[in-house]
Amino acid sequence: MKGPKAVVGVFTYIDDTLKAISIAKAGGHDYRVYSPVPHHELEEATLPGKSPVRFLTGFGAVLGCSGGFALAIWTSLDYPLRVSAKDIVSIPGFFVIGYECTILFGGIFTLLALLHFCRLPYILRSVGYDPRFSQDKFGVVIGCQSNAVEEVAEKLRESGADEIQVREAL
Amino acid sequence: MSHHNHSPHHEHHGDSPCHKGGPEGDSQFHYRGGIVPTEAKPLTYEEVNKTVLAMLEPPTYRWWLFLGLCLVAVAIGGVSWTRQILNGMTEAGKSHPDMWGGYITTFVFWVGIAHSGTLISAVLYLFRAHFRMPIYRLAEAMTVFAVLTAGLFPLIHLGRVWYFYWLMPYPNERAIWPNFRSPLLWDVFAVSTYLTISSTFFIIGLIPDIAVARDAARTKFRRLLYGITSLGWTGSHSQWKHYTAAYLFFAALATPLVVSVHSVVSWDFAMSIVPGWHATIFPPYFVAGAIFSGIAMVITIMIPLRRIFGLERILEPKHFDAMSKLILLTSGILTYSYGVEFYTAWFSNNEFERAQFWFRPFGEVGAAFWGMTFCNCIFPQLLWIKTLRTNIPFLFCVTILINIGMWLERFNIIVQSLSHEYIPYSWGWYNFSWVDVGIVIGSFGWFGMWMTLFVKFFPAVAITEIKEILPAPRRTADAHH
Repeated sequence: MKGPKAVVGVFTYIDDTLKAISIAKAGGHDYRVYSPVPHHELEEATLPGKSPVRFLTGFGAVLGCSGGFALAIWTSLDYPLRVSAKDIVSIPGFFVIGYECTILFGGIFTLLALLHFCRLPYILRSVGYDPRFSQDKFGVVIGCQSNAVEEVAEKLRESGADEIQVREAL
Repeated sequence: MSHHNHSPHHEHHGDSPCHKGGPEGDSQFHYRGGIVPTEAKPLTYEEVNKTVLAMLEPPTYRWWLFLGLCLVAVAIGGVSWTRQILNGMTEAGKSHPDMWGGYITTFVFWVGIAHSGTLISAVLYLFRAHFRMPIYRLAEAMTVFAVLTAGLFPLIHLGRVWYFYWLMPYPNERAIWPNFRSPLLWDVFAVSTYLTISSTFFIIGLIPDIAVARDAARTKFRRLLYGITSLGWTGSHSQWKHYTAAYLFFAALATPLVVSVHSVVSWDFAMSIVPGWHATIFPPYFVAGAIFSGIAMVITIMIPLRRIFGLERILEPKHFDAMSKLILLTSGILTYSYGVEFYTAWFSNNEFERAQFWFRPFGEVGAAFWGMTFCNCIFPQLLWIKTLRTNIPFLFCVTILINIGMWLERFNIIVQSLSHEYIPYSWGWYNFSWVDVGIVIGSFGWFGMWMTLFVKFFPAVAITEIKEILPAPRRTADAHH
């Protein structure tokens, strides 16, 4: 978080939280929003656009599909034993392996993307996090210079914050 | 330097909680607010936290008793399996032609149970069906534990279990590879993919809820347990952004997987030329049957949990009503499939097929066929009556009967078909043995043990997703449409 101080606004209402986000954006501040649930209005206000997770999912699926077919084809050619008069390379039969591997690797890469983009596991203490933010409160944390703390705190209070905290930004 | 304003975090707001010990009392969690006993008022975020976290309070003697029963069953299964390993497959009563017998019957039963968890979760998520929210966590847990149970059966059935790794494609000194044209190998890939994806989907769904438990925990053990397993989740806006995208992709990947897994299981049978198995209807028939049995098992588990943990406001009659309708739908598909099997046998003019489908209802164990028909086709039709769809004791009875009926269905498909193949010389019968029965009992204990442990240590009802369907708290009520 940019700036030595983090001003934390604790909110009960989502509309107040949205006001605080617009204040943070208007002031050009570095900010972070915590919420107990995902909400489309919060997403639109903070990070509109699509998540890059989909690229890794797609990559994993293509890799799995080609890898599944490749494994079945290569091993059949490596040990060519004709079974029940079927072709050595029996594409219809190998479709199942390709299909399952598409989903398996698509899923594994989605998991890796999730861990990467959500920065999990996150062992450091997150700046401005308050246990209430997972329960029933919304939080807007704004990074600022020491001399701007009062001004930011006042704006958060005006937007409807129940409580203001000032913390050291890491 | 930091200064904190007075935090209300440790205070109580609203009504007192209704669990033992009064407001907090000897509770292991901080509760803010309590259950407001007015049905007309929607739940608040606080009430959802409180209701679900109350399930994680220290167990009562009933929980220990049930866990003890499960462990006894696991021990019976363990002793039986040990006996089989020491003395060979003859202990399991396997004899020609019924070499698959009870083990594969029970394997297919558990894979079927496993089926609907991911279906309820993934498909209903994609359709944005709100009745999914209070149900899906238990359904997913059931899926994961049922696959863990089902996965034991091919190993048990191998006889020489220590060679199980021969199923996997690994480089070896004989330079041989598994036969990728075999449905049994497809099954290895399908079931292991299903276990991996279902477990991951389940665990990802749990992370934000574990963070809720972590932040409310009062004991060191709970804080440590949930601190580690929540992976440091904070619910920041960027985390939610990528999380919801990933969750959607998991649902999209899991949906075709659900369909494929039981289709592949059905090909274990349909790809062979055994009369009674070699039919193209098998994949949709198996998928519908699996959804049917899985939903029944979810209801069987949910009803006692709802009563024990006081989840009446979260698991409402409308949820049971919606699931009963799914049971009716899948019962209809299944009944149609049973009919098509008989019709195909008659229409094919194949005497072996015809003999098989005469044998099932009128053969030596025709009772299994009639039991299946009553439990799966006839009795569930009572759910057309709306009052019965929301009658909890009645639903419990229906779902227990469906569980029995679906085990009998697999018995009919597997044991009956193998017993009555082409020529009378090869006909035979399956010999029940105590080892076989012991292992089936053990599988129920194993499944029950994991479910019992899960509901006491992790949120068995989805906290975050229930909150998602509640109206977000607003200062101005008409600010959002």
